[in-house]
Amino acid sequence: MPEIVIDGQTYEFEGEHKLLQFIQDLGKEVPFFCYHPSMSIPANCRQCMVKVGQYVKDKETGEYELDENGEKQIRWFPKLQTSCNLTMSDDMVVHTQETDDLVKRAQKDNLEFILINHPLDCPICDQAGECPLQIQTYKYGPEGSRFEVKKVHKPKRVELGPRVTLDAERCINCTRCTRFTQEISKTHQLTIISRGDKNYPTTAPGETFDDPYSMNTVDICPVGALTSSDFRFKARVWEMNQTPSIDITNGKGSNIDLWTRDNLILRITPRHNEDVNDHWIPDEARDAYKLFNENRISRPIQKLDGEQILSSWNNAIATFNEQVADTENDKILIIGSPHASVEENYVFSKYANLLGIDQPVFTPNMEEGKGDGFLITDDLAPNTTGCKLLNFKEKKASTIKKSVENAELVIVLNDHLLDRNVLSQEDFDDKFVIVFATNHSDTTKAADLVVPITTAAEHAASYVNIDGRIQRTFPAKETKYSNRRLDLEMSEGRLDRYGTNFDNWRTEENKVDCLPLWRFMAEVSDQSGVDVVYNSGREIIEEIAGLNEAFSGVSYPDMDDNNGIQLSIEGTKKTKA
Amino acid sequence: MSKPDWKNFEPVLIPDIPDLDQIKNYEKNGGYSALKSVFTDNDKWPDSKSVINEVKEANIRGRGGAGFNAGLKWSFMPPADGGPRYLACNGDESEPGTFKDRKIFEYNPHIFIEGALIAAYAMEITTIYVYIRGEYKSYIDMMEEAIQDAYDAGYIGKDILGSGRDIEFYVHSGAGAYICGEETSMLESLEGKRGYPRVKPPFPAQKGLWGRPTTINNIETLAHVPAVINRGAEWFKGVGAKNHPGPVLYGISGHVNRPGVYELPSGVPVLDLIHNVAQGIKGGKELKAVIPGGSSTPVLRADQLDGITMDSDSLRTVGTMMGTAGMVVMDEDTDMVDVLWRIAHFYHHESCGQCTPCREGTGWLEKILLKIKNGEGEVKDLDLLLDLTTQMEGRTICALADAAAWPVRHTINRFRDEFEARCKKSVHALA
Repeated sequence: MPEIVIDGQTYEFEGEHKLLQFIQDLGKEVPFFCYHPSMSIPANCRQCMVKVGQYVKDKETGEYELDENGEKQIRWFPKLQTSCNLTMSDDMVVHTQETDDLVKRAQKDNLEFILINHPLDCPICDQAGECPLQIQTYKYGPEGSRFEVKKVHKPKRVELGPRVTLDAERCINCTRCTRFTQEISKTHQLTIISRGDKNYPTTAPGETFDDPYSMNTVDICPVGALTSSDFRFKARVWEMNQTPSIDITNGKGSNIDLWTRDNLILRITPRHNEDVNDHWIPDEARDAYKLFNENRISRPIQKLDGEQILSSWNNAIATFNEQVADTENDKILIIGSPHASVEENYVFSKYANLLGIDQPVFTPNMEEGKGDGFLITDDLAPNTTGCKLLNFKEKKASTIKKSVENAELVIVLNDHLLDRNVLSQEDFDDKFVIVFATNHSDTTKAADLVVPITTAAEHAASYVNIDGRIQRTFPAKETKYSNRRLDLEMSEGRLDRYGTNFDNWRTEENKVDCLPLWRFMAEVSDQSGVDVVYNSGREIIEEIAGLNEAFSGVSYPDMDDNNGIQLSIEGTKKTKA
Repeated sequence: MSKPDWKNFEPVLIPDIPDLDQIKNYEKNGGYSALKSVFTDNDKWPDSKSVINEVKEANIRGRGGAGFNAGLKWSFMPPADGGPRYLACNGDESEPGTFKDRKIFEYNPHIFIEGALIAAYAMEITTIYVYIRGEYKSYIDMMEEAIQDAYDAGYIGKDILGSGRDIEFYVHSGAGAYICGEETSMLESLEGKRGYPRVKPPFPAQKGLWGRPTTINNIETLAHVPAVINRGAEWFKGVGAKNHPGPVLYGISGHVNRPGVYELPSGVPVLDLIHNVAQGIKGGKELKAVIPGGSSTPVLRADQLDGITMDSDSLRTVGTMMGTAGMVVMDEDTDMVDVLWRIAHFYHHESCGQCTPCREGTGWLEKILLKIKNGEGEVKDLDLLLDLTTQMEGRTICALADAAAWPVRHTINRFRDEFEARCKKSVHALA
């Protein structure tokens, strides 16, 4: 097997490797800016310089040539090499900054060059704290600056598009953003203009950067040149907690991170998963953070004399049980939801089962032609496949009307059927309608009882994407009834770990008065005796895994270890984006 | 080393024949005979390899600056696979002090066309592009006319001279960027993209224009090919300096009485070129310095020039290069600080901005030099300049950073007194 010697250590390798990626995969480090594993390699930042040589072999005997000390002779490349685009070969010898002063010097020289025209405005820059330039300058950069002449000035605060703002002075011209629009989103909206130290990325004259994936350029920008117009100046990264989650705006189930501070989700960024979304998410997925903060239902709502008023949990539970008890079994209709998790839907299916009524029905939420074959799908819901796998009866908009017509009690799980024109106000006339929901909508306005439940940002629950992959969320945000310090599922941020109580302020209003659906149903069981008592999504998925073949072997630890599990089910072929 | 007999040299590329740019006159004077020989004389040229070997043997050192053996470069092309293959002819000619290819475009375009067609034949190339700098508007028109004439005469197009070979020939105009004279950024520019040099490997012979095998040659280099075919590699090797043979177009500019382009053998003594060919320094002044081959080649002091001839071996002994043989002659009144600032300004303006050391370094160099030029520099700035040249050299994708760094380093080293004299005093006498 071919071997490479890096900083005196020998490694075997197979197949074609680029040196920088190989070094990274070993858990070692060489600084870089322009390289990105999912895009072409331009080798233009010149930061990842290393010294490279080759052991010399005698051409005839094939034996290594030795120097006077009996060591293998090395023929060094005449110049330092950029490791990002260097293809590894057998008998290669590499010295990184760890072992070679020339390499160390070259990397420092390069950072000196990068910084001369950089504004060094970290204190007011959004990227500070998660900035490769800042981090690598501290590690590998020069101590001071020898630059005593005038910096180049370029446009600042340029709105490239509706969602991305450019500060051209901060740009180090790595071309990651332009390569992204050329190679990944393929809209070709960005290019570098001007020459030399005057150049910066922008759109063609008069054009706007409205790429549906535009904000990924903000993530991959290694400096603060491209920032999110929405998130700009909202928070410092070190004040936030980062929680892994799943995008719920479409059927792809892109892996994301939720960033919280003071119990509000402030931004959503992609989380790498090469089987689903690689490093990217659509801009729509980022905008969804508002759903978790705004327009939330807090405390149950009941209709009194035709008017909705805030109620109490005790009233809500009692009303729910009364309505179920007072209605003939065949007049109860439970509508599950592709917008709700597997766990939530299952709780209803179990409840229906114990009650001896029909399995819940559901209506997929599709928009024909919306999908782009990449990360945006026709399916507007995150868990359509999950509903199918739970054997929920799929109803078209036209047939579900009929089912509602025959029912007297309609229980709707987090699906805004009125808002998406599946049902209309009249369909609910003379029915008792109970809606479990996270946000206010026309549908909740039409309900007789509205039960506020947790969002994907407040509970741990799983979703099956259109490719049949089950992935789960973590609680990122506290409700009135959860506590970051007690819930071990919740991420610990820098302030949780190091801050005092006075640093880690929390605004009580930002906590929503809602319950996970299973907690509510456990309370219902307590009074009605119908046994659906679960403490967590974890318990529910364990039960499903034991009962439903499609989910066999599925568990949270397994999902966590493998970034989700591909279910082996017929009819849900895995399609790679 | 014996001096070449340059006084009796008969020019080949730009001979003293009126209206040679007309195809009829070119043909009358033996033009396109090399092409006919290569395309039709199967006994003399049994295969394309035999042509490459002859050119390789002649050792035409690339006239664009790098000085690489053209025939050897041709031999790097992979075997033909039926797909398109390209010859990209580099007429971007933007290096300050260089103005030789324009003479070929103007006075003898067909010798270049003929050479390019022979090269295309030898490498089984299907399409030729000639990339001409955008400022050469009239030469672009002239080349288009000349190419059309050659099409009409049947030297370009389908089934050339009944050989069964099809070759297309296009003119492509540059848009005013020096960097597009760098061979791989010229390919990018030809493809309609931003002129960023490409990372090598892959080399153009493997993956060039649109990912296909491509060879890039300078205009003058290709113009030498017909003579090599007609008179043989031995003749070519016999002209001028041993390791850098053949006629050379010397472009002499600056403070001389007769600036211009002169076709002479390689290896002519630098002082002969200045004092005899260009008829001495204007106004009878003293010679101070010479830039031998375009602004990026290290400058020479007058006292370094004794016995130095214009070929790579001799120039290397005084730490400079042949480059494009575009000599810039400077008299005793020349301010070297101003000269260097102007050169640094050029490279700052022309850096494409792709690689960090060049993008940032060229600007920094210019700004410090401006400070010194304005009398605000300090001696430590000179050392910073030298430091920066080390930080730039050899650390970028293409050679522009080197081209920007060399003149700074060598001009300061060779004229340090002048630079120090312009700096502020860093030591002040006590009262």
